[in-house]
Amino acid sequence: MPSASPFLNVAFRAHDAAPTPVQIAACGFSVFYGAHEAVRNATLAMHTRKVTAIIGPSGCGKSTFLRAINRMNDLIPTCRAAGGLQVEGHDVYSPMTDVVALRQRMGMVFQKPNPFPKSIYDNVAYGPRVRGTTRRGALDALVQRSLERAALWPEVKDRLRDNALRLSGGQQQRLCIARALATEPHVLLMDEPTSALDPRATARIEDLIDTLRATLTIVIVTHNMQQAARVSDYTAFFYEGLLVEYGPTIDIFSRPREQQTEAYITGRFG
Amino acid sequence: MHSINVTPSLLLSTRSRRRRRLTAALGRALLFGVTAVSAGAVILIIGFIVRDAAPFVRLCGVREFFCSTQWYPAGTPAAFGALAIFYGTALVTVSAALIAVPVGIAAAVCLSEMLPFGARQAVKPVVEILAAIPSVVYGFFALVVVAPLLQTHGKYLLAGLVVIVGIPLGGGVVLLTGTLLGRGAARRRGAPTWLLGGMAAVVAALLLAAIWQCLQVQVDSGTNALNVAMILAIMALPTIVSVAEDALQAVGRDLREGSYALGASRAQTTLHVVLPAAASGLIAAIILGVMRAVGETMVVWMASGNAAQIPAPWFNLMAPVRTLTATIAGDMGEADQVTGSARYHVLFFMALCLLLIALICNIVSELVIWRKHKALG
Amino acid sequence: MTPGTRFIERLFTAACYGALAVMVAALLLLLVPIFVKGMGALVFHGTVEYRRMRHELFDRGDGAQLAREQAQMQRAAQPMYAMLAEFEAALPTNPPAVRATQAAALRDLQQRLRVLLGPLPGEPQPALPRSQYGQTRWDRAQVKLHEVLYAEVWDYSNPDTMGQKMEVPRQEQFAGTALAPLFPFLQQHTRAILQPRLTCYWRFFTDASRDAHFFGGIKPELVGTLYLTLGAVLLAVPFGVLSAIYLVEFARDGLLVRVLRMCMNTLAGVPSIVFGLFGLACFINTMHVSPSKSVLAGSLTLALLILPTIIRAAEEALRAVPMTYREAAISLGATPWYAVISTVVPAALPGILTGVVISMGRAAGETAPIIFTAAVSVGQTLRIWDVLTQPTPVLSWNIYNVATEHEAVDEIRHVQFGMVLALVALVLLLNGAAIILRARMARALKG
Repeated sequence: MPSASPFLNVAFRAHDAAPTPVQIAACGFSVFYGAHEAVRNATLAMHTRKVTAIIGPSGCGKSTFLRAINRMNDLIPTCRAAGGLQVEGHDVYSPMTDVVALRQRMGMVFQKPNPFPKSIYDNVAYGPRVRGTTRRGALDALVQRSLERAALWPEVKDRLRDNALRLSGGQQQRLCIARALATEPHVLLMDEPTSALDPRATARIEDLIDTLRATLTIVIVTHNMQQAARVSDYTAFFYEGLLVEYGPTIDIFSRPREQQTEAYITGRFG
Repeated sequence: MHSINVTPSLLLSTRSRRRRRLTAALGRALLFGVTAVSAGAVILIIGFIVRDAAPFVRLCGVREFFCSTQWYPAGTPAAFGALAIFYGTALVTVSAALIAVPVGIAAAVCLSEMLPFGARQAVKPVVEILAAIPSVVYGFFALVVVAPLLQTHGKYLLAGLVVIVGIPLGGGVVLLTGTLLGRGAARRRGAPTWLLGGMAAVVAALLLAAIWQCLQVQVDSGTNALNVAMILAIMALPTIVSVAEDALQAVGRDLREGSYALGASRAQTTLHVVLPAAASGLIAAIILGVMRAVGETMVVWMASGNAAQIPAPWFNLMAPVRTLTATIAGDMGEADQVTGSARYHVLFFMALCLLLIALICNIVSELVIWRKHKALG
Repeated sequence: MTPGTRFIERLFTAACYGALAVMVAALLLLLVPIFVKGMGALVFHGTVEYRRMRHELFDRGDGAQLAREQAQMQRAAQPMYAMLAEFEAALPTNPPAVRATQAAALRDLQQRLRVLLGPLPGEPQPALPRSQYGQTRWDRAQVKLHEVLYAEVWDYSNPDTMGQKMEVPRQEQFAGTALAPLFPFLQQHTRAILQPRLTCYWRFFTDASRDAHFFGGIKPELVGTLYLTLGAVLLAVPFGVLSAIYLVEFARDGLLVRVLRMCMNTLAGVPSIVFGLFGLACFINTMHVSPSKSVLAGSLTLALLILPTIIRAAEEALRAVPMTYREAAISLGATPWYAVISTVVPAALPGILTGVVISMGRAAGETAPIIFTAAVSVGQTLRIWDVLTQPTPVLSWNIYNVATEHEAVDEIRHVQFGMVLALVALVLLLNGAAIILRARMARALKG
């Protein structure tokens, strides 16, 4: 049943905070850039087939935390992680982890749409090809299914060989979602996926998130509190690297426990 | 914290983990090896040149090489005095730089500070084409077009060159002293127009005198130091212009706008703010341009006259000269037959000297840029 | 603004624009003569002697037509030959003192006429092709006609200066003899005798030269340049691109990388003639990649020369690829290797190609590195399997050679300019291609 926030003029779309099994669990988890601690001692559990939003002012460590989940931070030479982070019960930072399999288990969508300068088909087929799927029929089916799940199929089904850069910004972002879905992930990590898009394209992405929540665990980092309130079941608020508050979105936006959370969502800073 | 089912596929077996790590390390090692080979080529070059230059030092020593002007490598007894050749190299390089540096930096200022974007895009290909034209074409042009012109109209060309070099140079002198003196005068109100006018008059008189001197010159041969210096200047121009323009473009807008906001004119802004801020880049540009002139072979070989002598008087640009590069190119054809003789190894010793000059230029330009970076923090 | 500062402002602006104008003027002064005179190798007024040469040496042209033209040439020149014969017959009747000078003058005249019109009637065929034909080009024929009409005399009357060269009409030498009318006759009838016609010689680029560039084209040089350039690029590109990939994608900043970079900067500053000496000392005298000069040794040397250019261009192109491409590929489970090969390199390819094409232009034009390693002045078109062992004629080297060391430098100016034009056109085409590639790259990355 939709309810209203006393702070935000927004209708909660997320209704379901009923607990499901835990998909991602952080326990005393920290990320360092050299000596700087970007994420400090975070502990939280994200639930299967729920949308979890991570909010907070710029530089609060929310993107760092998201990118730590699929070990994208490995690309930064000075970056290291400490503490526990488990995905489906498996320790992400264990030396035994198959990073490639881990990343394929988790699709990622970035701030700016970043399709490769290749054809639409090749973009979507990139992940499966990395995994070693080269059979034409299987690829075709996978590409079609992924584009359908990303609600892009009707628009591009006749121009799969076109360069992906010819699509509009919103289409490009949905193509990136399709590309991420093609590896058949269990989790979708979205790093401010609508910040470069206009309101109409944003709405389509949000609709898409609403559809995908039935099959996927989604973690979305966003600047936009209305968006967090609209699309997420759970919300985590980060401030200066600390996880200040985490709970069902309805609770965070209607009766936050912490002073800082309230100050942030009412727009007093950030 | 509770966990759901453990998915084994996220685990990596020890064997495949090792294999993966091994391939990555191998790949990195391979790439590093290729890069090291590419970079190590220069060490190989230095090594081989040193190896073949050393016998000359053993056979003849370096005293004569650096102190004598007698260059008769094929004579009996052979004489290996390269002083005149070093002097020739220095003469053509310095004169080329005298032409190319003022023109090049002024052109870079024009490109970077004055021309609108569209015009700049139109002029840029000129620089690229000048840089792309092969040196043998420049040499051919010097020999077939410029040399006969110099022979018949040498004095007029020399006078024209004095104008081309003198006007920016003299203008610069007038501007600098004018603004330096004007700074004091401005406080007492009224710019020193009479002073500037006087300065300009003096410079103009000097220029006229130089032109008059030029018109008295007797030209014996069109293949001489002036010919080579002019062509080398044209060849060094694109390097100087493009590097200097990059340096000027790198100066921030805020610096310029700050100067304009204080009411400075474009000339004042450029001279007092932009050029000093870009100084390190400009010095690098000059060094690179000079390096291009020192290392050039075909033009000097074809059009310098190849006479191993110090011109008389020492600044006589109308005399034929000989440079290090041209000597190597010209003498190796015969020396090749007598591998192992001093005649053969002296050319490698010359190449070693050239390498050292290039190395020093490189280090100086990197130091200049490095100091700039350090100064900026 | 006070008058003083305004004056400075104007002076400053004028000086800067002047400098730019000097640069543009230098380019025009360089390119215009090269293009105008270079076209002279391809389009010119060819004489009947040209058509005879073309028919006999290259087996081209209409034989029957040529026979008609030669008959006309015979007819037109007949009165002149009659005068010569008459004079020669009358020679023994002259007093001995006059006879010697007249015989010498006649020999000189005959030689000049041979140069202009080819062997005189009844003379045996000379051995060298260059003396088998008269002037093949109308512009050269006019120069030679002048030499027939005027004799060179040195004037030593003033002992204070060097001897002065003077031109004396030959008509005066033969005044009063049967040959006196020959000169006005020849002047009037040269056109009828040589029958100049506008000729296009496009095969200049595909013909081999005959008799040391007196006739024919520059195919061996073009092919040699092509071999050397392609060889250098094939050898340098793998090393250059892989080095750039390492430096941009995998190297971590540190002392080692700084040393590598310093080495590469130094390599870029090494004078080209030093590369030549190195190639001679290393590839030929030490490693013995070939018995003496060869295309292989030259290509290896040139490859080293263009390596820094390729590395720098490839590095720039790779750095221009947005980081997000790499991130997207990594997030889809690609290893860093696969990410680079499947996304970064294809996106950087136009930029890399631009650098490769520009360095091809550089390799094609370089002369100093190949003097001791690959170039010969005379030679046949090299076959592809000979590149490992044989030297080749090269455009750049042969420009030097025919312009300075050829035995008849002035006679073959058109060939020299033709070669220069070919080289400049080749280099400019390559650079033009690079500019187009760069524009396409800018478009592709913008989307």
